[in-house]
Amino acid sequence: MTPRALTGLGIVSTVGTGRAEFLRAMASPRLVREAPKGPVAAFDASPYPGVFVAEVPGFDASRYLGDKGLRTLDRLTKLMIVSARLALHDGGLKKDGLFVQSSAEQAGIVCSNAYGSLEAIAELDRVAILEDARYINPAKFPNTVSNSASGYVSIWEDLRALNVAVSDGNCGALDAVACADIYLETGRADVLLVGGAEALSEGLFLAFHRLGALGAGTDGSGTLGEGSALFVMEPLEHAAARGATVLAEIVGYGTAFLPPPGEALLFRASAEALERAIASALADAGAVAADVDVVASSVSGMHAFDDEELAAIGRAVGPAVAVAAPKAIFGETLGAGGAMGMAAIIAWMGGATPTPLVRGLPPARVRTALVTSMGFYGNASAVVMRSRS
Amino acid sequence: MMQRVHITGVGVVSSIGMGRAEFFRALAEGKSGISPIESFDAQPLGREYAGEVKNFHPKDHLTAPEVRRMGRCSAMTLAAARMAVEDAAIAPELLRGTRTAVVIGTTMGEAGVIADLDHGWIARGPKGLRRALLPKYGSTLLPIHVARAVGAAGMVLTLPAACAAGNYAIGFGADLIRSGRADVVVAGAVELIQELEFSGFVRLAAMAPSRCQPFDLNRQGLILGEGAGIVLLESEAHAGRRRGAKLQAEVGGYGMSCDAYHITRPHPEATGSIAAMRRALESSGVGPGDVDFVNAHGTGTRANDLAEAKVMREVFGSRRVPISSVKSTLGHCMGAASALEAIACVMTLENGLYPPTMGYETPDPECDLEVVANRARHGKADIVLNNSLAFGGYNAVTCFARPGVLPPPRERPRSFANAQSPLVQT
Repeated sequence: MTPRALTGLGIVSTVGTGRAEFLRAMASPRLVREAPKGPVAAFDASPYPGVFVAEVPGFDASRYLGDKGLRTLDRLTKLMIVSARLALHDGGLKKDGLFVQSSAEQAGIVCSNAYGSLEAIAELDRVAILEDARYINPAKFPNTVSNSASGYVSIWEDLRALNVAVSDGNCGALDAVACADIYLETGRADVLLVGGAEALSEGLFLAFHRLGALGAGTDGSGTLGEGSALFVMEPLEHAAARGATVLAEIVGYGTAFLPPPGEALLFRASAEALERAIASALADAGAVAADVDVVASSVSGMHAFDDEELAAIGRAVGPAVAVAAPKAIFGETLGAGGAMGMAAIIAWMGGATPTPLVRGLPPARVRTALVTSMGFYGNASAVVMRSRS
Repeated sequence: MMQRVHITGVGVVSSIGMGRAEFFRALAEGKSGISPIESFDAQPLGREYAGEVKNFHPKDHLTAPEVRRMGRCSAMTLAAARMAVEDAAIAPELLRGTRTAVVIGTTMGEAGVIADLDHGWIARGPKGLRRALLPKYGSTLLPIHVARAVGAAGMVLTLPAACAAGNYAIGFGADLIRSGRADVVVAGAVELIQELEFSGFVRLAAMAPSRCQPFDLNRQGLILGEGAGIVLLESEAHAGRRRGAKLQAEVGGYGMSCDAYHITRPHPEATGSIAAMRRALESSGVGPGDVDFVNAHGTGTRANDLAEAKVMREVFGSRRVPISSVKSTLGHCMGAASALEAIACVMTLENGLYPPTMGYETPDPECDLEVVANRARHGKADIVLNNSLAFGGYNAVTCFARPGVLPPPRERPRSFANAQSPLVQT
């Protein structure tokens, strides 16, 4: 692919909101180690004693968006709007809420989310089942539609070139990067917000809980998380023309899908798919395995998936490469996962030590990094990032 | 060099017919699929008509294990994908491998599975959530099931772009091929009518009692529909290398925009929608004078119709380009709408036939359009546009053409001269 510049980061995460706070936390091993995995505030968790989630602590959208117009927005929408606003300002496109570079007509958003509409669907279903479908709140009905959150981002932040929601489970955020690359290549926008967001809700939690996919401990394994990470992504020439600071470059993408054999159920991790995705991402970047300083993996504490992922990375990049598990910090953020991994890499490129490592030794410095995402259904995606220095 | 992209196969699950032949015949006849809903009791909601697909039986199209492992939405998608593959007369081995991608659009995906999960949970508590349903509910599964069935090993992507999802998926699929990232893409969209969605539209006061009458003065709103529309997109080179390929329609460019105005209502000045249509023309290398027919979004709501009339006036000026809405017979199939309508465009291009807008009785002076009223009409059909607007302020317009008519696709040189200033707008 043509290298793309990442020139801004808006992030709402378990360890900090906004690029500065996030980078400070990522540079502090103590903060990272003690990332909050406390009892749940996002929903009533009393039916689930002893289970932990990685929640954005004390998330208060009104701090960033004011008090008006928030009442009918769901948690996902608020997380996404806050991170979009922060990204646009961090990237120098906006100042005090107004575009000062590029414009609404030339800016758009490509954002991944896997399960965001479940909260609103459950809320309205509750009314329909326990009371009457005639009483469902029409103002909340739009939230049941999968692209509603990114639609609200456009309304709040005035992004008119295009608005694309991607729903590809765990691979979504990296696939959104691939979509954004094509949209830039075809001139559909000059500059795009790209990344992913996921919010905790009881329905989402319950689904993973019933599957037995969640760990019960506080060690970060199998912990469901939430957050939103959106990057400003643009052609290198566009970044240069407006004098933007380049945080890192996106230089390669690869994806693959391999179905299970026979008539087996679809839930599966495919090491071979990820291996192919990594190989094609490296080829796309014009890089070789030895160039990779660190891998921001999607290792999450779900062992069946983690083992396959580590096997794939070993085969495609080598057995010695440093493999980090950012999900131990952010939780399993699903549709946001790849974007959280990309954000972690920005911190590591800036000098923070990649942590926690599940394989290998900390690299002396991070110049070329790989982000991997294992899908739940035999799909996998990978992105290669490079630092400017 | 950029590749030309063609539709070489179409697959349809709809309330007016299954597959190419039935669907095209029904469109030409103006046959309606709108009838009283049977899948749930809608009567207490005060509205009971929809374009419900009554005779779709997954086992007619899927193997027994496939039927067991997927929800109705995935089943419709796979059925339509199989029809598209069959219609393309493509050897199965040509679809296997990393050069085939699958891109599917939707609004809510497996809405029925989610409803069943919620019912168990809400009625019986957390333990009532049926574990066996969980492997069936992710929207990611829509392209995954298709990819598994046809052996596609490239990109699998779900684009939940609400009522513009079909155009999003087909447009992006064409981009994948044009740019050399894929040779074949199974692209399209799907939607189910589900009780919650139906109730929501009733609560938004957007639903008509029994008829959808786009552009008519006495319109009463939309009627929901459901179905799946899938096309096989193929590079010209790939289609040229194999036996039996028929180029049904060329996929030209497409245009997108976002209103950034209201979550459900279109912008009253239709600025985003106008921009999307102009971008579709520009990226296809054609002008407004080249367009022979517009397949309207035409939902039958006043807000939509007025916005669309503005788009037609702004883009085509005094030229009266024939326009029609098949939602008058299919209902509004939401995510699937613009995919089914893209397939209607294929019918128009192949047969030189504009499908009718049924129920068009009293022209609305505020929608002074060349509506193809109540009866299909023959006319020139070299280049057509497929218009769509959606929840979230999404707009997308695709351009389809008789093969050989459009100029070759080309890269357009970019200038970022206005990167520094928000005041210069192109």
